[in-house]
Amino acid sequence: MRKLLVIALMTILAFSAFAQGASEKKAEEGPITLEWWTWDTGMIEQNQSIIAQYEATHPNVKINNTVIATDGGAYKTQLSVLAQQKALPNVFMLSSGDIEEWASNGLCRKLDDLVASDPDIYKKFYESMFTSLKDVAKTDYLPGFPFAYVSCDLFYNKDAFDAAGLEYPNENWTWDDFLAAAKALTIDKNGDGEIDQWGYYGYGRYAEAQAWIFANGGVLTNNTTHTFEPNQNALDAIQFMSDLVNVYKVAPSPKDMSAIKYKTIFPNQIVAMFVDGGWFADDFRKNIGDKFQWGITRVPVGPNGQAKVTYGWPDSYVISPFTEHAQAAWEFTKYIAGEGIGLDQFMAGKMPAYKALVESDAFVDMTQQPYGDMQLFRDHASDTFVTSYTQGWSEWVGYGAAESMGLNGAIDSILNGETTLAEVLPSLTESINKILSRYY
Amino acid sequence: MAEKQKFKWHSWATPWVLIFPTLVGLVVFRLIPIVSSLVLSFTKWNLITDPKFLGLKNYVDLFTDPDFWKILGNTLKITVGYVAGSMVFGLLLALLVNNKIRGMNFFRAAIYMPVITSSVAVGIVWTRILGPKYGILDFLLKKIGITAPYWLQDPKLALWTLTFVQVWKMAGYYMILFLAGLQSISHEVIEASIVDGATPTQRLFRVTIPMLAPTSFFVLTVAIMDAFKNFELIYAMTMGGPQNATNTLVYSVYLNAFSYNRVGYAESIAWVLMVVVGALTILNFFIKKYWAQPLE
Amino acid sequence: MVERRVSKVIVIFFIILAVAVSIFPFIWMLANSFMSEDQIFALPLKFWPDKLFKKGMWDNYVEAFSNFSFGRYTWNSFFVSFLAALGQIIVCPMAAFAFAKMRFHGRRAIYTLLLMTLMIPVQVIIIPEYYLMMKLGWLNSYLPLIIPSFLAGAFGTFMFISVFEAIPSVLLDAAVIDGASAYKILWRVYFPQATASVATLFIIAFMNNWNDLLRPLLYVIKPSLFTVTMGLTRFQNQYTTKWGLVLTGSVISVLPLIIVYIFCQRYIIENQMSSGVKG
Repeated sequence: MRKLLVIALMTILAFSAFAQGASEKKAEEGPITLEWWTWDTGMIEQNQSIIAQYEATHPNVKINNTVIATDGGAYKTQLSVLAQQKALPNVFMLSSGDIEEWASNGLCRKLDDLVASDPDIYKKFYESMFTSLKDVAKTDYLPGFPFAYVSCDLFYNKDAFDAAGLEYPNENWTWDDFLAAAKALTIDKNGDGEIDQWGYYGYGRYAEAQAWIFANGGVLTNNTTHTFEPNQNALDAIQFMSDLVNVYKVAPSPKDMSAIKYKTIFPNQIVAMFVDGGWFADDFRKNIGDKFQWGITRVPVGPNGQAKVTYGWPDSYVISPFTEHAQAAWEFTKYIAGEGIGLDQFMAGKMPAYKALVESDAFVDMTQQPYGDMQLFRDHASDTFVTSYTQGWSEWVGYGAAESMGLNGAIDSILNGETTLAEVLPSLTESINKILSRYY
Repeated sequence: MAEKQKFKWHSWATPWVLIFPTLVGLVVFRLIPIVSSLVLSFTKWNLITDPKFLGLKNYVDLFTDPDFWKILGNTLKITVGYVAGSMVFGLLLALLVNNKIRGMNFFRAAIYMPVITSSVAVGIVWTRILGPKYGILDFLLKKIGITAPYWLQDPKLALWTLTFVQVWKMAGYYMILFLAGLQSISHEVIEASIVDGATPTQRLFRVTIPMLAPTSFFVLTVAIMDAFKNFELIYAMTMGGPQNATNTLVYSVYLNAFSYNRVGYAESIAWVLMVVVGALTILNFFIKKYWAQPLE
Repeated sequence: MVERRVSKVIVIFFIILAVAVSIFPFIWMLANSFMSEDQIFALPLKFWPDKLFKKGMWDNYVEAFSNFSFGRYTWNSFFVSFLAALGQIIVCPMAAFAFAKMRFHGRRAIYTLLLMTLMIPVQVIIIPEYYLMMKLGWLNSYLPLIIPSFLAGAFGTFMFISVFEAIPSVLLDAAVIDGASAYKILWRVYFPQATASVATLFIIAFMNNWNDLLRPLLYVIKPSLFTVTMGLTRFQNQYTTKWGLVLTGSVISVLPLIIVYIFCQRYIIENQMSSGVKG
């Protein structure tokens, strides 16, 4: 037994020496080394090939890619610790929900001078996304480099529309058109008293509820007083979602759909219409195949909404404010947001910021669904983008692991018929204001 | 830890040599982080800047938050259900698989499967069983004319449903802990009781269970502590909902530390958690002498 | 005799019931690893895998092993979990023996502290622990996964205390009279008596380290050092999840645990037989 102990200890010691040796990397003279942090662990191999190409044309630059999953907050925790140590990687992905807080703590390099040094930048990239990022961060400077934009749109089952003899939804649809179609699409196919196909399904998730809110000219927070002050348009939108379930009965309640993942409800043809992030185009391509025909269009504009106002958010790279190699980091960032990548780096339905990709023929892929409807994502580029981000956003909205709480939880309760908007609004406002007051 | 010592059979240094590795690990890898977390619980810290000292503010905020009391209540309810359920089912399973039957190795491994199956998969399967409309249970109950309740969506039921699934998942774990205890009960004692003409039931209550007292004490303590660590399944099944009905202290710690960037506040919840578990554990030790005296 | 047979039938019935109730999520997981993505969440529920015994049956497995290096991750997890578990079955009985059978100053205090560490969920100490590992220069290595588990095995110590307490003192007295040293008594007398518990602890420690996700995510950065649980995160990003691969990966990640369990199980049985022979 003692022998075993000795062997075990020696293994550990030997291994620790090896591991330490591996982790000690001296910053050497000569070529610049850029640290590049991303969170999509599915992309490790692709990133390596991008680096190989970049290093081939830029012999003075070495790129070191670190990919950390977002699970358990691992990516953000490690990045935050580096921020506190003032040792941030040169280029890193940062979620839109965090950019304002990071920018206000001086953790995002202002990129305006670098943008100014490149007169072609807005010829190559969509300026609207850069404007949106400043809007998200509430800064008067550019805190990062948006490499993609995600919009929220309406997905519809063409076969169901055909069967009901309805015209497909279009950009000029109003909520009344939507409701009329939803009514016609809510069908008990086998006559057993249970609805087999609903007109629509949605719940309190940010990408669904807020798509309706902003489509009606809704505002959730007052960004001068930094308080939660939903305007009547926003309340109307929430009420509309509730009425779809509780009054018109053209949508099932969230609790009735809880046996299955919300992402699988549309592919299973339980609903004919569905609103969520555009990237579902990618999901549906894989999971619907040729089972039925489907299309994408804009979320119908509410009675008080404006056309071509789109709810969504940019996905961005941030450059470290502590780096001495800002210029090199900038060049590399432009590469990984632009010429260095192809459409295969994006899920279908996300809009790359690099115009050449969006305008390429391959972007509107006529060989697979939703065929020509992909044009929608080209059109979005000239829209007005709106977002709801503030500091503390994930807490008050109820994002991710907090999905059952905050605004999301409250809307679900309303849709479930457990409470009403009027009933829940005072306590919701109070609790959200308490969260916001910690930040502002 | 009663110890009858007749004469000195080891030097004063021997116990220290034996506990040395554990002591080093305890101080460096456990006490340092624990003490740091206590210090952090008096600060406001979002990780990206330096912590700011707040005094007792986190605790004041915590105790004046109505949600906190609900969450604490949930945690205690889960603990009661989980500890009772896992002790009972763990022991029953252990007694069951302690029989000599061909293929028992396979059966034991099979019963242990839920413990090692990922929480994500367990979450999906159980949601599909328990869910309304498209759930399997709902389908079966409908056949016999019963309308199933909303197991996981009814705020009154969700907590107990979750506890049930957690017990289901972990029963095999307590089974092997009990089994190790059962295996070390000497055969002479059992055989002697058979010779004395004890019925199987008498044998169970008069011999086996009393002989298992030290193991039971150990299992109880472990179960209490595990009850508070119930994170993965909540994340996979309910995310603390509906309306905070399944939100627990450890889930709150996670949300605050990793979702809301409130590390200081999260640590203050964590310390309430530790005080509660600590109190229960001490209570358990205090009453140990009344029920779990090692048999000698 | 009839009564015995009846009770045996009842026992078998309950065992089969318990097995059925326990094993179905794994069966479901296994079946789903042979399904195409859209079948997994299809309605009405599909039980029979559409790709089973057909072309493309092993697609998910091939992809997990070739495109996502699951073979490598499995080996990494095995390496980490084996060392961590090995450490526990050596260090924990040592400390437990001291706590259970010896008296020394501070015994109660140290014991209480140790027990306290047992009740702390990982989420509570992970951030201070991360800073500690950074100060030690252990980031991006397996050391933070192995060494604390090796040294601070509160659970194992606690478990062995209860085991050693249950072993009759007669054994100790006899060994002391024979003139055996304390170390010899531990390793030659007490440790062999507790084989079932050693195996049990090994299973549990191995399993805990194997299933750990948060620590590997924080401490391991290099893709070639990823563990199996980290590999599973590669099938999802913040927008989408490849469920077929997640479930296939889960099956792959469970298989080694079953092997370890069955292997250790032998010792739990053997102990029973050897003590039977001795008795």
